[in-house]
Amino acid sequence: MLNSWRNTGWLSVTMLVVLPLAAGCGESSPARFHANLVQLADTNVSDKHQQQIADILLAMFGTPDDPFVLPETGLDLQKLKIAAGPVKGYTQGLFRLHCVHCHGITGDGMGPTALFLKPYPRDYREGWFKFKSTPSNQPPTHADLVRTLQEGIPGTAMPSFKLLSEGEIYALVEYVEYLSMRGQTELELINQYKLADAFDPDKEDFPTTKEFLVNTVISPIAAKWKNAPSQSTQVPTPPKDFGSTASIERGKQVFYTTGGCVKCHGPTALGDGQLVWDMWSEAIHKMDVKVAESADPAKLSELSYALRVDALPPREGEPRNLRAGILRGGREPYELFYRLNNGIFPSQMPGIGTTPGMTSDDIWHLIDFILDLPYEPGSQYHNDEHMKAPPRELL
Amino acid sequence: MGKFWALVFLCVPIFGVAMFIYGPAKGVWLPENVGAETAYSIDHLFKFILALTGIVFLGTELTLFLFLWRYDGKSNKQPAKFSHGSHTLEICWTIVPAATLLFIAIYQMNTWAAAKMRTPMAGGHDIPFTVEVTGRQFEWRLRYPGEDGILGTKDDLFDVNELHVPVGEEVLVSLKSMDVLHSFFLPNLRVKQDAVPGMKIPVWFRAMKEGEYDIPCAELCGWGHYKMKGRLVVESREAYEKYLADLKTRQNAVSPPGTAQQTAEAEPEDAQPVAAQPQQSAPPNEATSPLAKTNE
Repeated sequence: MLNSWRNTGWLSVTMLVVLPLAAGCGESSPARFHANLVQLADTNVSDKHQQQIADILLAMFGTPDDPFVLPETGLDLQKLKIAAGPVKGYTQGLFRLHCVHCHGITGDGMGPTALFLKPYPRDYREGWFKFKSTPSNQPPTHADLVRTLQEGIPGTAMPSFKLLSEGEIYALVEYVEYLSMRGQTELELINQYKLADAFDPDKEDFPTTKEFLVNTVISPIAAKWKNAPSQSTQVPTPPKDFGSTASIERGKQVFYTTGGCVKCHGPTALGDGQLVWDMWSEAIHKMDVKVAESADPAKLSELSYALRVDALPPREGEPRNLRAGILRGGREPYELFYRLNNGIFPSQMPGIGTTPGMTSDDIWHLIDFILDLPYEPGSQYHNDEHMKAPPRELL
Repeated sequence: MGKFWALVFLCVPIFGVAMFIYGPAKGVWLPENVGAETAYSIDHLFKFILALTGIVFLGTELTLFLFLWRYDGKSNKQPAKFSHGSHTLEICWTIVPAATLLFIAIYQMNTWAAAKMRTPMAGGHDIPFTVEVTGRQFEWRLRYPGEDGILGTKDDLFDVNELHVPVGEEVLVSLKSMDVLHSFFLPNLRVKQDAVPGMKIPVWFRAMKEGEYDIPCAELCGWGHYKMKGRLVVESREAYEKYLADLKTRQNAVSPPGTAQQTAEAEPEDAQPVAAQPQQSAPPNEATSPLAKTNE
């Protein structure tokens, strides 16, 4: 009796140790890219054509475990393989090790932690990036993305990856570009099919030859990424009095007049002006409105379902508090020049480079003013003294 | 089976002692100590307490083994005897640990004060801050005071994750947190301090050997805690000054890296011909300048 109990005791102890191990080693289902459900639902692409889009994307870009790119994209497959796939020590699977929990396996900015972050993580699929040297309608350069990874984006949940080796950073940047191009290709295909479906939803012979896809879909997208460095804004020489008190004063004038900054950043520059939707939220918000106002719920049920499962609740973008001393895209004057001159397109901040009457000197003065704001009286920065207990009185 | 359990329990002290001999011998022991006196006295306290607890550990484990061996149920058929206990023994095992703890409490006071209470002084005042370290999910944001030596002024220099300090000098850090609890841990300097939101906590150390060391976060601060790691670079005074100068150049750059490096400060001297151009275009500027408009 006693012996049999002992045996079961040992057995259960063994099972306790062995079972979790066995469960942990089980094969999980292979990772796959998610379809852009919201766009598919919004454009009413037929099921058959949705499947075709998925097949084309699979053929042209592979899977998260086994990425593939056509040479026309200009991407380096070797680098992609370092960033892709399941985590293998520090040699492979870098994207899933460092990025996936926020940016998602598809690069849709909907990883498990995304909902809790403000601002939301970047959705790469439109190819829109905020902090870059190129004009608003252009993708960022390789160097812009490297900078973002190395320095992080202070004031957001994007940390710095400065301690990663250069090779690892380059591999990750290549992968971000890959996910972006894949997302853009998907959007373009949805668009093409939408046009085709509009004429005949059951059309069989939509041209899916490699030549057609490369020439009309991939090449224009890849060309934009490839040409980005040549599109970088030229930073002019600052005026001679850059950095002087007079320059700050002139920058202040620009801020309150021609710059138009007050509208959103507020007269106090505390970011208490008008709120605007950023581009991502605006698109979702518009669809929300569309669903709410629709008279035909059956037709839009697919879209409302897609919005529920494949989109984050839209949020209004808050203009930056310029007195807090946190500059997300970097505090270097030339970086500020890019942002002021070109705007921050997806956040709806307009560039002032094309404002009539605005000169590059005015922008430099404005930069002076912005860099000085956190240290003005009335801002939050004060000389730091560390905490000390107050002197004790002897009783 | 009789003496089996006694031998199993004997393995515990043998394995324990073997581990503490193997560790230091093979170099898989404490991280290299590159700190000054305080760091060494912390190591000394650690080893002293380890020796003390080691002796007690061996004593209890060997007693356990002896009792298991001697009073094994198979070979002892006599029934167990119970006694009321020994008053003297109880007094002993209360007083001896209490006295030991009291001794440790007094013995460590000086080290604790040096590590946490006596801010390094120079000329009757605290030394100025070398850097402000702000913990943030999931990185260390750094702010050096710049040329005026005061934190919170316009010439502050900003960096992230890579903290540079001069070798052999007292370093005073102002430790803050932007969001949740973090812990600023310098294993090689035996420094560990929680960063608490809303507080500015001074931390100081002196690194005696040049090299690169880790700055892990030692407080579970969120899902990305594992990736919150910085690097401490201990370098000569010259290299440190050069690092700060480079940081300044980088921060004040008016043209992107790779193009002709210009900073706002270097300009008046070596850019005279270029600077003449904006002057030529100055009159049209003024006509359209915001100043002119507001005056109208």
